[in-house]
This record gives sequence, C-alpha cells and structure tokens, in this order.
Amino acid sequence: MTPTTPIRREALTPTRREALVLGAAALLTPRLARAATPATLQLSWLHSVQFAGSYIAQSRGYWGDAGLDVTLLPGGPNAPVEPPVVAGTALVGISAADYTAAAVNQGAPFRIIGVAMQKNPFAIASLAANPVADPRDLIGRRIGMALANMPVLEALCALNDVDIAGIEVVPTQYDAAPLVQGQVDCLLCWATDLPVAMRMQGIDSTVMLLADHGYAVHSQTYIATQDSLANRRADLVALMKGEIRGWGDYHAGPEAAANLTVQMFPDAGLDLETQKLQAERQVPLMFSDLTDAQGFGWFTDDTVAANIETLALLGKPVSADLWDRSILEEVYGAG
Amino acid sequence: MTDPRALRLEGVAKRFGDGAGAIQAVAPCDVAIARGTTTALVGPSGCGKSTLLRMIAGLEAPTDGGILFGGETPDTLRRRAGLAMAFQDAALLPWLRLRGNVALGRKLARRVPDAAADDALIRLVGLAGFERRRPAELSGGMRQRAAIARALAGDPDLLLLDEPFGAVDELTRERLNAELAPLWDARGTTTLLVTHSVIEAVRLSDRVLVFSPRPARVVADIAVPLARPRHSSAALADLCEAVRAALRG
Amino acid sequence: MIRMPRVVVWAALLLGWEVFARLTADGFVIAAPTEIAQYVWRNTGLLWRATGVTGWVALQGFVWGNLAGVMLALAAVLIPRAERGLLTLALLAFCLPLVATGPILRVLYGPGQGPQVTLAALSVVYTTFLSVLVGLRAVPQSWLDLARSYGRGPVTLLALVRLPAALPYLVAGLQIAAPAAFLGAMVGEFTGAERGLGVLTVRALRGLDLPATWAVALLAAALSMAAFAGIGALGRRLSLAPPEILLAAPDDARGRAGASIQGIAAVAVALAVWQGAMDAFDLPRFFARRPGDVWDYLVTAPEAGAHRANLLAALGETLTVALPGYGAGLLLGAGLAALLTLAPPLAALVLPVSVALRSIPIIATAPLIVWALGRGAAGSITVVAVMIFFPTLVACLHGLARAPRPLMDLFDSYDAGPLRRLWGVQLPAMLPAFFASARMAVPAAILAVTTAEWLATGRGIGALMATVASTSDYAMLWSAIAVIGLAALATHAGVAALERAVLRRTSPEQLAG
Ligand SMILES: Nc1ncnc2c1ncn2[C@@H]1O[C@H](COP(=O)(O)OP(=O)(O)OP(=O)(O)O)[C@@H](O)[C@H]1O
Ligand SMILES: [Mg+2]
Repeated sequence: MTPTTPIRREALTPTRREALVLGAAALLTPRLARAATPATLQLSWLHSVQFAGSYIAQSRGYWGDAGLDVTLLPGGPNAPVEPPVVAGTALVGISAADYTAAAVNQGAPFRIIGVAMQKNPFAIASLAANPVADPRDLIGRRIGMALANMPVLEALCALNDVDIAGIEVVPTQYDAAPLVQGQVDCLLCWATDLPVAMRMQGIDSTVMLLADHGYAVHSQTYIATQDSLANRRADLVALMKGEIRGWGDYHAGPEAAANLTVQMFPDAGLDLETQKLQAERQVPLMFSDLTDAQGFGWFTDDTVAANIETLALLGKPVSADLWDRSILEEVYGAG
Repeated sequence: MTDPRALRLEGVAKRFGDGAGAIQAVAPCDVAIARGTTTALVGPSGCGKSTLLRMIAGLEAPTDGGILFGGETPDTLRRRAGLAMAFQDAALLPWLRLRGNVALGRKLARRVPDAAADDALIRLVGLAGFERRRPAELSGGMRQRAAIARALAGDPDLLLLDEPFGAVDELTRERLNAELAPLWDARGTTTLLVTHSVIEAVRLSDRVLVFSPRPARVVADIAVPLARPRHSSAALADLCEAVRAALRG
Repeated sequence: MIRMPRVVVWAALLLGWEVFARLTADGFVIAAPTEIAQYVWRNTGLLWRATGVTGWVALQGFVWGNLAGVMLALAAVLIPRAERGLLTLALLAFCLPLVATGPILRVLYGPGQGPQVTLAALSVVYTTFLSVLVGLRAVPQSWLDLARSYGRGPVTLLALVRLPAALPYLVAGLQIAAPAAFLGAMVGEFTGAERGLGVLTVRALRGLDLPATWAVALLAAALSMAAFAGIGALGRRLSLAPPEILLAAPDDARGRAGASIQGIAAVAVALAVWQGAMDAFDLPRFFARRPGDVWDYLVTAPEAGAHRANLLAALGETLTVALPGYGAGLLLGAGLAALLTLAPPLAALVLPVSVALRSIPIIATAPLIVWALGRGAAGSITVVAVMIFFPTLVACLHGLARAPRPLMDLFDSYDAGPLRRLWGVQLPAMLPAFFASARMAVPAAILAVTTAEWLATGRGIGALMATVASTSDYAMLWSAIAVIGLAALATHAGVAALERAVLRRTSPEQLAG
C-alpha cells in the first residue's frame, strides 16, 4: 500500500493546499512504489493538462496498485509517437486514428486499444469579428495551416460539399500570430490550444469543431503493437486501468487536474489559468453519452465505422481490425 | 677527395615544373666537401643556392643525381637528426619565447633538454637578456641569430646556414664570425654557409664555391689556406678579389 | 560634437523599442521591454532552472562536439588520404534534419538528455572541424621545413608546429560553436523534454505569450553572447602570436581524377555507416530506413517514377531559394566583417545582434521575419541568410585579423588608407577563412531553407519532409535526406573547386598535403 492511499479516497477538491499535497505525492510516489513492472507511456506533446488523467493515475498510485511502474515520456514538435512504440521503447503511445492509420499503411503493427478523445479536437478558429462558423463560410477566406494537414481540409470540404478551390490556403507555423496579425482569416488548429491562448490574451475567437461537421476521427488514442497485445497483455490492462481511473477523477474535477498538472511540472512553464481553461474545454471532447454509458476510452463498431469513412476521405484506408477492444473489455469486465 | 666521410654531390640538378614553364634552378653539379670543413657558397641572387642547400637537407628531391654525406643519404641523415639548417627567413615559431625557440632545436633533434647549454648558445649569439622575448619583439638580425643558436642546439654533424647574417650589422657579424667559426671547428661540424658577403665567405670558410647565375653551376672553387683567427691581411684581400672576379664572370 | 553618455543612448534605444512595441501590440510580434522585464521578474525561478538545464546540455554538447571536430581535423591532417572521407561524413552528419534524427535519438537514448546533448554536439562538429583544419594548415613552408630538416614526422610537426598555429583558428571555431551548441540544445528539447529553454519557447509561441517568447530568446542570446565574448577574451589572453607571411610552394600535383575517386569512396563509406549504424542499434525499419530501402523507393518500386518526380520537384523548389539565400548569407557575413574592420566601433552593435540571431531558434525568429517581409521569396531568402551569415562573419573577422603584419606595414608605409589595405592585404588573407565558411554554410543553408519551408512557405523539401514525417512515410523522408545529402555534397564540391582555383594563387599552404 502506498502512502497516497488516504488521499485517493477523498473527493477531489480544487484547493491550493490539496494540489500542493498532490504535487508532493507525485514526486514521492515513483520512489516509494513497490517493485513493479516498468512500462513507458509516450505522450504526444509536452506535459500539459492534455494528459492530466495520466498524471492523476501516477500521483495517486493507480498504476502502482495495478503492479505497474509507469514512466511518462513527453512529446514535442520533433517527437513523433510512433517510432518509440514500434521500437518497444514505449509500451503505449498517445496517437490519433489518422496518424495511426498512416503508420499502419507504412507497415507499423499498431492497434488502437482505447480512445481518449471521442471527438476530434481539430477546429477552425477565426476572430469573433470575422467568424467562420460553418464550413461554407470558408469560401473566399484565407486559412492558415500546415500543408501536412491538407487532407484534413479536403475531407472537411468533401463532407460538407464545399469547393476547396474557393479557399486560399496559407502555409503557416502552428501559432495564433498569423490570425491576430490578419495574415489569414482563420486557422486550422486544435480547439484546446490556440483558441485558449487567444482567450488568455483577451482575443475572442469563434471555434468551429470539425467533429461537429462530420469529421469523425478518434483522437488521443492509445496505441500498442500487436506484439505487446500478444505478450504484454497484463501490462496493457494495468496501464489502461490506471488511465481510466485517472481520467475518471479528471472528469470529476478538471480544475483540480489543472492544479495538479501545474504542481507536477513546475518547470514546464505552464500557466495555471490557461491550463484550467484547456482542462475545461477538453471535457466535452473526451466524455460523452457513450463514455457515460460504457466508460472512458470506449469505442463501438459504429464509431469505428464512422472513423473508417472519414479516414478513407483522408486517403488513409483502414479496416476495422485497426481497433482492438479486448483490453478495454478486460478492464471493464473485471470491474 | 675520395674520403668516404665527405659530403658528395654527384650530378645533382634541380628543375622546377615541367614543359614550357620549367625553371632549371640547379645545373648538374659535382662537388665533394671534406668532413669537418667550412664551405661558403656565393653567387648572384636567385641562382639556386638555397635550392642546393634544401636538396642537401633532403627538403627537396633533386631531379637528377645523388647526394651522400658520410655514406648517408640526406633522408637517413635527417632521420637521425644529423643535420641542422638555419633558414633565410629565420622561421622562428611566433608563440614560443626565444629560449623556447632555441630549445626547440634540441627537442626536434631528440636530444635531452639542457637549459644551461641553451642559455650559453643564446649568450654566444649575443642575445643574453632576451630569453623571455617572443620573435615579434626581436629585430630581424636578432631573429637570425636566434635561428643560428637553434641550429647549433641540436649539435649537428652537418650545419647548413642560409644567409644567417643577412640582417646583422657589420660589427656584430664580425664578432659572430670570430666566435662561431672556432665553435664548429672544435665540434668537427661540416658547415655549408650561403652568404652574399665575400669578405665573410673568405674569413669564415676553408673553401669558397662561386656559382654562376641560374641555373647554378660551380664557376670557381677557391681554397682558403689561411690560419685562424683571420685578421685583415694582404692574402685575405687577394682571395676576396679572386672571389669577386669569379662572381663577375 | 557633443558626445552623448552611453546611458542616454541606451535609454533612448529602450524607449524607442517600448514605443514601437506598444504601437504594434495588435500584431503580436514585438514585446515591450517593460513586459519582458515583468515576465522575467515573475518567473525568475523558472527561467533560472530552465537556463541551468539547457546550459548544462549545451556545455556538454559543446565539449563533445568540439572534441570530435578537433579530432577529425587532426586525423585529416595526419592522414591526408582520409580527409575527403572525414569531410563527407561530417558534412552529411551536419545535414541530417531534426525530423529524422529526433525520433532515432529518442529511441536510442530513451528518456533523458542524451538526444539533446547529441544534437548540440552534432551542431558544432562540422564548423569546428573546418575552422581547425584551416588553422592546422596555416603554417609557412619554412616551419614545415624546420621540422622536416630534423627528420621529424607528421606527429611532431602537429604537436610542435601545427597545433599551436591552429589555436587562433580554434578560438574562432569555438566562438562559432558557442551559440550553435546552445541552439542545438534548445532544438534538441523539441524531441521530447520536460524542461529547458526550448520547452519554454514552444510553450510561449503556442500560448501567444510574447513577453515569454522574447524573454527566453533574449536569455538564450545573452548567454551565447557571454560565451562568445568569454572565448574571445580567452583567445586574447593567450596572446596568440601575430601572424607570419604564409609562403608555401604551389602544389598542383594532385589530379582531379584522384579527387573524384576519393569522393566516390567517401560516399560509399557514408552509405556503409548509414546501414551499419542502423543495423548495429537494431533500429526498426519502420522509421529507420536503410540505403537499400531508399533505392527501392526511388528506383525499383513500381511507383518509383512518381516518387522521384515528387522528390525532384520539391528539391528544385528548395534550391531556387537556397542558392540566393546562400549567396546573400555569405555576402552579408563577409561584408559585415569588412565593414567591422573599417569601422571597429560598429562591432559593439553588430556582434551581439549576430550572436543573438544565431542562438535563437528559427521558430522564434521566423514569425518576426515573416511579419516584416512576408511569405514570399524575400522572407525565405532572409531566413536563410540570417541563419548562415554568422559563421561567415566570425570566420572572416578572424581571417582579416590574420593579415600579415609586414604586409600591413608595407601598405601603411605608403599611407595606403584602410580601403586599399583591406583590398590589398586583408581580403586576400581572409580568403582561406572565407572559403572555409562558405563550405560550412552549404549544409547550414540547406537546413535553413528546409526550416523556412516548413514554417513559412510550405513548399519544397522542407514542407515535404514535415508532411511525410507526420504520416510516417519514412521511405520518402529518408529519400529526401539522401537527396539533400547528395545536393549538399555536390554544392560542397563546387565550392571546394572554386576554393582550390582561388587559393592556389593566394594561399597555397591550404592545399598542400
Ligand atoms: N618551389 C619553387 N618552385 C619554382 N621555382 C622555384 C622554387 N624555389 C625556387 N625556385 C626558383 O629557383 C631559382 C633559385 O632559387 P633559390 O631560392 O635557390 O635562389 P638563391 O640562390 O637562394 O637566391 P637568393 O640569394 O636570392 O636567396 C629561382 O629562380 C627561383 O625562382
Ligand atoms: Mg636563397
């Protein structure tokens, strides 16, 4: 039993003192944990509240309870998730269905074993004074985006009968400056980062979630290799167990999760208010009627079918085999 | 002239480049120089004296002919540090102090370090008090004297001096001549000295070789059978005149 | 003329900056000094810790990278036959883009600072190698003769003559390396790090947090400047000897045929290292494609024609920006060096700005350049020029300072004036350093263009690599890397040929041995 157990039982309350205790626990836990199987979880970006469920799982010993000693590996602008998972450096990676599909088409032996973001966070952000609220509003507008994301725009246009020729694409760096400087009218970005940054700078933006316009692509998916699924099942189950408990706590109190994140990573340069807003905004992407009914991370044949359709539009044809629910079934079946 | 220990040049010639732009620097040349003697090489500027010296030092390969010193080729001689050369431009290393530059001669010759001997050499060339100066802080003539000290430091069997006193004033030159000649006489060093000063050539050497304009060939071979120390004398003046006459051609 | 006190000048500059920043606040490009100060004040602890982390990584990379660079240069001088091979390998290692090295290093090292240190080291090896190589060769014939006349071999020559002679050039190399190592450490954090100035940069850019972006950039710049100045001061403390006239006999014995055979051998070695290293570390083929995979992809596969067309079109676009940017960067570097020689007081302004531009990640400076110059050719060419002019400036400054004293005196004795002296003595003396920097700039220019393409124009190989990396199309990624490597080698060979033609007349000692 780890010293974090008493805290674990308590309701998650967003007081500063709590958060401090949690932070301290986070620092101590890895060292005090019992001899457990080591496993690495490769995150898809720098530490932030985007992965707060994992931080909760770690700080409260949820993985330790399940006999796993998890190392969280941060991502970054030049840290793709797929290579460490293929190489076995990481047991599980946080990817997205489109990235995973592309990798699988290039020969990577991946399976999606859980879905953290039921709704894809891709959005089109525009200034409130010059809003893009509907895909049709894109006509005649300049959109700033990475050219790598062209297929996303093409899929959106195809799904909504918009002639892509009417849109001017401006290749931009991934930040909000081109929009606020007026170099473009809108940006293709995540609903949970650049719009949040603009809000914190006092700039109102209109955010059109692609998921609300037929773009069905699972995001923040948990991927593992077929080899791990065959040979490290117990570890995968334990890891997902911890994730599910962590994200369950997150759902109960996103603000406390933001506090914990900032406490755990004092050197990451995180701004608490920004993290709180991001935590709040990602809740509707991660939790839905489906997860309320079946549990966090779940996916159904229907959601998979919708994904396959969108992925085909993205030029990444996949079959339903890409998704493997057996780990989730084991977690939830075992209660 | 058949002493096997002598320095023998047989048909040594040097041509730079080939084709139309080729320069014949040294014409085929046969010379034998007795061991332990001092020989002065004089000749017009650009005739090929330095080139000849560099060939003897093994720094330049002759295009023709062969060189032997005591039966050794310049290369073997070099490898056992049997020769030392003082260069026309002194070639002191600018980051070393005077003492370091002199010690370098011993070091390069793989001799054991001997600071006292180095200092003695520095005194000998009249640079006492400048041991801790860098070459940039020395005058042109002082640098040349340092180069001579460095060449002597290695205690060579064959000493090649390329205009070692070119930038040294007349009086110092005479003093150096007076002090250096006994030194290499005593050590039994075989010395080749390139100089533009006829009087110096006669005063210092046992033999003067006079070269023609390029390509260098020996036009006069004048023995200097005078006892040392050589003060100004009628015999000395006669010999000088003979050398000058040969130079004029 | 009334001389204004320094404080007044600085105060006026700061005030101007403040006003300009406030006026352009809507653009979110320039942070005001007061905002930056405020950010620093509030986040002192954070900045301090991040600086510690990144600084330590940079220092380790600096040490290892320079050590490797010096060793390579020594090897090249001791084994002249190996020079071309070593040069090729160092050049290719320098060309490797982060999109390819990042994941590989992360997989090799796992969590921790290994990748950052390696990337910091990789970013200095090549420049130091070239600087030191030039220095080891900047030796007059008579010094070589001196050692040879005692029958001493290349090792003694190296220890007693070449190494001390190379010291000033090493100082130049280290000065070039200091900001590069810092930048390498920051960019290394993009491969997945928990803390450091690179992490803070990414965070600040995404958060539209200008004061933070500027604070971190200024901090990185200030540290690099301190290192730059410190190394320079150390160099002066060593009271490096004033230069000699370097007269060496011309050497035209080496034929072109020999050179091209060596070049082919070098490429073969590079391919073997590529294959061998990946096999040795058992890197999965999925992301670590071997030369054979690239060959398949570009030559034998059914769609090889399409792959090739795609790649060559991108390469063409890249080269149309890279070449003008390369020329502009070289001219800028050499021009500034000449300017600073004519008007030394300007150095106080030019050098800090130059060091800053070299030490701040391009993702932080590119928005500013794009904002000022737009996304067209002007912007991209400027990005390239900005990224490569610094090594040229430093190398040329040192080269200009190597002008032989007697020649300077000669010109002064005719009261020739600074311009004539520059033209007659200093510029020729600078040529070896200039050409060395022109060679350094080849891979740097390619890296710069690909970065600009990724960030601003969305064209060319840079955009292609970003796209294929995000879709795990590693076959195309490695093909792009191979093509970039070949382009760099070809350009490098061109520059080297020009260099030989010029230096044969001005600095033959550089071509010997
Ligand atoms: N490396 C070289 N390449 C081509 N020509 C050379 C080379 N070295 C010397 N020469 C030429 O050979 C000739 C002889 O040169 P050398 O230096 O031997 O003359 P020198 O007799 O020592 O003249 P000085 O008394 O002026 O020193 C000159 O015409 C010179 O131009
Ligand atoms: Mg000469």
